Formats: sequence, C-alpha cells, structure tokens
Amino acid sequence: MKMEEMSLSGLDNSKLEAIAQEIYADLVEDSCLGFCFEVHRAVKCGYFFLDDTDPDSMKDFEIVDQPGLDIFGQVFNQWKSKECVCPNCSRSIAASRFAPHLEKCLGMGRNSSRIANRRIANSNNMNKSESDQEDNDDINDNDWSYGSEKKAKKRKSDKNPNSPRRSKSLKHKNGELSNSDPFKYNNSTGISYETLGPEELRSLLTTQCGVISEHTKKMCTRSLRCPQHTDEQRRTVRIYFLGPSAVLPEVESSLDNDSFDMTDSQALISRLQWDGSSDLSPSDSGSSKTSENQGWGLGTNSSESRKT
Amino acid sequence: MNKDAQMRAAINQKLIETGERERLKELLRAKLIECGWKDQLKAHCKEVIKEKGLEHVTVDDLVAEITPKGRETGFAMLPRLVLSSRTQAILLPQPSRLLG
Repeated sequence: MKMEEMSLSGLDNSKLEAIAQEIYADLVEDSCLGFCFEVHRAVKCGYFFLDDTDPDSMKDFEIVDQPGLDIFGQVFNQWKSKECVCPNCSRSIAASRFAPHLEKCLGMGRNSSRIANRRIANSNNMNKSESDQEDNDDINDNDWSYGSEKKAKKRKSDKNPNSPRRSKSLKHKNGELSNSDPFKYNNSTGISYETLGPEELRSLLTTQCGVISEHTKKMCTRSLRCPQHTDEQRRTVRIYFLGPSAVLPEVESSLDNDSFDMTDSQALISRLQWDGSSDLSPSDSGSSKTSENQGWGLGTNSSESRKT
Repeated sequence: MNKDAQMRAAINQKLIETGERERLKELLRAKLIECGWKDQLKAHCKEVIKEKGLEHVTVDDLVAEITPKGRETGFAMLPRLVLSSRTQAILLPQPSRLLG
C-alpha cells in the first residue's frame, strides 16, 4: 500500500529536518501562549509589577564596580584605622584592639582575673619581704603586710609537717609546687632570687630545689628531688644563701623516707658529702638520678641502723 | 504536499501518544528560560502593558503582540541542539508502526 511505503527510513534528512522544524515551531508557539496566560493572570491579580522597584532605590543599591571597593561600595580595610572610645576609661582605642582592651579595662574575662590574681600574690610577696626590712616608710603598707604575713603564717601552720598527707601531695606533684601558697602565682619554672627576702628564701629552700640556673639566673622550683639538679648543687645554693650552716631540707622533713628520723644534722651533712661526691651531671637521665636517690635512702637507712 | 501533511500528522500523533511531546515541551521551556528568552519576552510584555494601560489588557491583546516576537526570538535562540535531540525522539518509534 502507498501508506505503508511511507516509512521514516524512506525520508531523506532534509525532510526530516523540515518536519522537526515545524514541530519545534509548534512547541514554541505553545510556550508563548502559556507565557501570555501567565502574564495576563499576573496583571489581573496585580502581582506583575511586584519585582520592580522605583528608580531611586534602584540607584541606591546598584552594583559598585570601582577599584578598591567591594560591590556594596565599602572600603576593604576600613576598620583597621577606625578608633572607638572606650566607655570605661574614655580613651580612644584602635578597633582591632578594642575587645582585649575592654576585657582588661572592665576587669572581666578569663585573662584579666588571672593577671589580677598574680598581681595580688606578687604584692603579697613584696609586702611580706618588705615587712622584714627596717626601712619601710609607708605605715599603711606595713599594717597590711603584717596582716597578710599573719595570715600567711597561719596558713602555713595549718599544714602539719608530720602529717602523711603532706608527703603524699608532694609525691604526686613531682615537678610542680602547689603546696605552698605564697608561690602559687609562679607559673614559670623559676624564681628570681633577688626579689626574695631571707625568710622567704629560707622557706622556699625548704620546699623547692632552688638551684640557680646558669642561663636564666632563676631558682629551680621543682621538688627537692628534681632530677635536673644534684644534691650537691642544692647544698651549694643553700650555703650560698643561708650561710655555711645551711643544710638540705631533707634533714628537717620526712618526704619519701618515712622511716627516716633525723636528729643529728651534722651526721647527715657528712652523709650528704659522701653521696654528693658521686657527682652526677644534670644531663644524666632521670633513672640514674632515682637510683642515686634510692641509694642515698638505703645508705641513710643503713647508717641509721649503724648509729643506733 | 499531501503526503508530507499526512506524515506530519502521523508523527505528531505518535509524539503525543508516547508522551514525548510533553517531554519535549518541558525541555524547551527549561531551555528558553535558561537562555533568557522569557526575560526578554517579559520586558516586551511590560512595555506593551504600559502602553495599553494596566487595567485594559486582555489575553488576545497580549497574544497578538507577543507571540510573533516570541516565535522569532525563540527560533533564533535555539537552533540545532534541540532539533537533533528531537529528531532522535522522532526516530525512536519504529517506522512501520507510524502508519499502522
């Protein structure tokens, strides 16, 4: 049949294209019609012109295309040079430094309270050391420091030197010193000994290593058995500060050796000399230090038994 | 020619039956929006409406004004790409069945 002969494969390409074009035209017309209906509905419902704004505000929000500005017209680092007036101290501060300044100024925030505590502890120390000196002109300071000294003394006496608790806490906190309150402020690893008075120095030397480091000129705040310094060094420091009769504080307190009961200091000094002559350098490993300490403990025990 | 008209009608019918025509229409609409044809036409509409006055616009007016322009620009916008995909769509149904 004629109709059957009309198959697509019989058509050549151009005719196919023509047919396709017509179909496309039909589709476009349909789309146009659909679009017209949409617009007409929008007009009649009143929302056709909604996305238009008046030309004035259009000009306000136009995209800015100038060098040095962003598309909103703002300058890049405008806030670097801006200055704000602090409501507390009425100074004009740079904008980028404003928040930290406000923190310090108002006295709120983590850092400022930490610094304040440190300052208080510092001034406590200063006042305590000054109260021992003869030439203290300010009476107010004298009164205040006396009160704090009393408080400090009371605080220290609260801790029984013979109680087991004390030795336990010292055992756990190996390198740090948190036992004695006056030194709580010390977050660094050393104390500069020039600022300390003799009383303070003595108390410090009874609880801390105290060996003066060569490069920082500060006293070591680690425990009395700190592995970085030898007992010989500690003894030297104590002799230097407190006179030739100074002894290592292990003499007076029972730290690790509970069985250690010292009565004769002279005998202990002789014992220390015997142990100090082993002369280990600070660069030795901690294990050698502990072995030395253990040896010392054993040595003292044996000598103790020898004595009795 | 009659044969071509018949051919066209047959093809159209086939397209509608398989739902291919709808698919093509959606595809075309998406493509027209993409290339900005609709926005162009909308701007033209706005002008027409401003001329005629907002209250008195009718569908016929709009259609009469906009369709010719739309057709022209539509043709200009999408030449070959759509055609080729459509020719594929047309060729998909088997030829012998077109006239069955």
